[in-house]
Amino acid sequence: MFAYVESLRMALSAIWDNKLRAALTTLGIIIGILAVTLMGTLISGLDRSFEKSMSFLGRDVLYISKHEWFGQEEWWEIRNRPDLKVDYIEKLKNQSKYVIAAAPVAMRSVNITRKDEMAMGINLAGTTPEFAQTAFMNIESGRFYTEGEDRSGARVIAIGYDVANALFENENPIGKKVKIGNYVFRVVGVTEKQGKFLGLFSMDNRAIIPLGTYQRLFARRGWMRLDVKVDDEHIDEAKDEIIAIMRRLRGLRPEEKNDFAVNQQDAFRQQYQTMKIAIGGTGLFITVLSLVVGGIGIMNIMFVSVKERTKEIGVRKAVGATQGSIMRQFLLEALFICLFGGAVGIVLALGGSFLIDKFVFPSTMPVSLALISLILSSVVGVVAGLAPSYKAARLDPIEALRYE
Amino acid sequence: MADLIKLNGLQRYYEVGGETVKALDGVDLIINHNEYISIMGPSGSGKSTMMNMIGCLDSPTDGTYEFEGEKVHEMDDNQLASIRNRKIGFVFQTFNLLPKLTALRNVELPLIYANIPKDERLELAEIAMDKVSLTDRMHHKPNELSGGQRQRVAIARALVTNPSIILADEPTGNLDSKSGVEIMDVFDELHNEGNTIILVTHEAYIAKHAHRTIHILDGRIEKDAQNKTTKQRKQPSKKKATL
Repeated sequence: MFAYVESLRMALSAIWDNKLRAALTTLGIIIGILAVTLMGTLISGLDRSFEKSMSFLGRDVLYISKHEWFGQEEWWEIRNRPDLKVDYIEKLKNQSKYVIAAAPVAMRSVNITRKDEMAMGINLAGTTPEFAQTAFMNIESGRFYTEGEDRSGARVIAIGYDVANALFENENPIGKKVKIGNYVFRVVGVTEKQGKFLGLFSMDNRAIIPLGTYQRLFARRGWMRLDVKVDDEHIDEAKDEIIAIMRRLRGLRPEEKNDFAVNQQDAFRQQYQTMKIAIGGTGLFITVLSLVVGGIGIMNIMFVSVKERTKEIGVRKAVGATQGSIMRQFLLEALFICLFGGAVGIVLALGGSFLIDKFVFPSTMPVSLALISLILSSVVGVVAGLAPSYKAARLDPIEALRYE
Repeated sequence: MADLIKLNGLQRYYEVGGETVKALDGVDLIINHNEYISIMGPSGSGKSTMMNMIGCLDSPTDGTYEFEGEKVHEMDDNQLASIRNRKIGFVFQTFNLLPKLTALRNVELPLIYANIPKDERLELAEIAMDKVSLTDRMHHKPNELSGGQRQRVAIARALVTNPSIILADEPTGNLDSKSGVEIMDVFDELHNEGNTIILVTHEAYIAKHAHRTIHILDGRIEKDAQNKTTKQRKQPSKKKATL
């Protein structure tokens, strides 16, 4: 028992005597631990923002469009596919038992002006009031437009949070007029702040008008998406059913391929998983590499340490140190160099995580990863220390005493 | 009581470049408790090997070695370490103190490997330091001590486990003559207190402190005799011990 405490004390004082050397040696370990913990932090942050983005889509909403989101089809194939039509919506609702709400969405980029203010590059969506159900958005102030307004082609508009801020700095936008080109719209609602989708485009940088109005003013034909909210307990059945209905509407023969696509959140999820594995794999590779290099460095420095202290080992053996106690002393030394490196790595990672959290995206350093890191560095220490410690333990005391 | 040390036909051969060097070539020797022995011989005679053998740092090629009845020639490394720890105190020519530890910590060292709790260790180490009259230098590091003081620390380290035998290999070899005399006085006194001491030396005037001198040549005992001056030498040391 005392022997263990003493081995520990001796190992620590040996490290203390060679502080700088130990610190330099441990650099590989520090980098390795830093890499693994920062990677963990990064992934946790990505997870969080990914899940937030996914909440814009909704697990139970199917998106029918001309192409697969992450499809492999050639562009000309997609180009030749027929456009989706508004009247599919009614047919889908009538023929499917799983559809809860459905909205056609047409979209284009416009500039919105008000007096001297202009909001540029706004995503203008033309859709039906059911969009409020399929789109996971809340109206912050005012209201969404009504069925009646939709049918009559009223010039009403719901604007995103950022658009409202840009055009109406200190005013209530409800009831005010804005212009798209030469057409005047009356603002009826402002949508709640939502943030960016996958960090790419802002959900607050959009405006929504009735589909009828949209078609009359901007385009009768062209790109359109059908958003279909289905019973969330039967998503897979709903998807199959919708594909069947769509094929029937399109009049496809059994041997013909689908000329449309039914997308869902899962497509993003799969894509994201692939990316996550790539990030994780890279991080793991860097970690393993630097840990191995760090381990070799420690092994090297331990061999030097054993050589330098040959005489000391001789003296210790002469006064009764067993092979075991010498081995223990050097193993503990290697172990503590690594643990020290691991601790420094974790402290640096904590700092790095804090910066990522503050300036990149919200994230936390997983505690379990920090623990794994510490265990990892102890394993590296023990493995790296084995050969030098064994060498020290096996030294012939007579030879060692004679060593100068 | 068994003999303290009993060597029987002890051999130690080395292979050096395909040739066999007979460092010890059949040594028979009995050493009793409280003997004061010097081992003499020219360099290469085998006296260092003899010292390493008696000190359980080395194992014989052939022959038997019994230490207080325990068969040393059959022991493994851990048993040898244990017997070195408990039964043998070494004093080296070059002191062999650990430079980063204080004198007291150096003296404490063997007790660590004897698994003795810290408080007791420090107490025993202080007693040993007192025996070599160095209580005022306990917290100095070796490089802050004179040669004679360092060797006294080394002697304290040898004493601290209360060993059966103290082995000193040229203990005055690195000291000036005045310090050498002081160190020999310490050994004389330790012997008077009942310790068994073996000195390895090639200096006749050092060897004369002992009561028995063993001459080694070519790995064999050439001469083993009691010293004539034994009785005269005992007197002054005893007087000193009572001071």
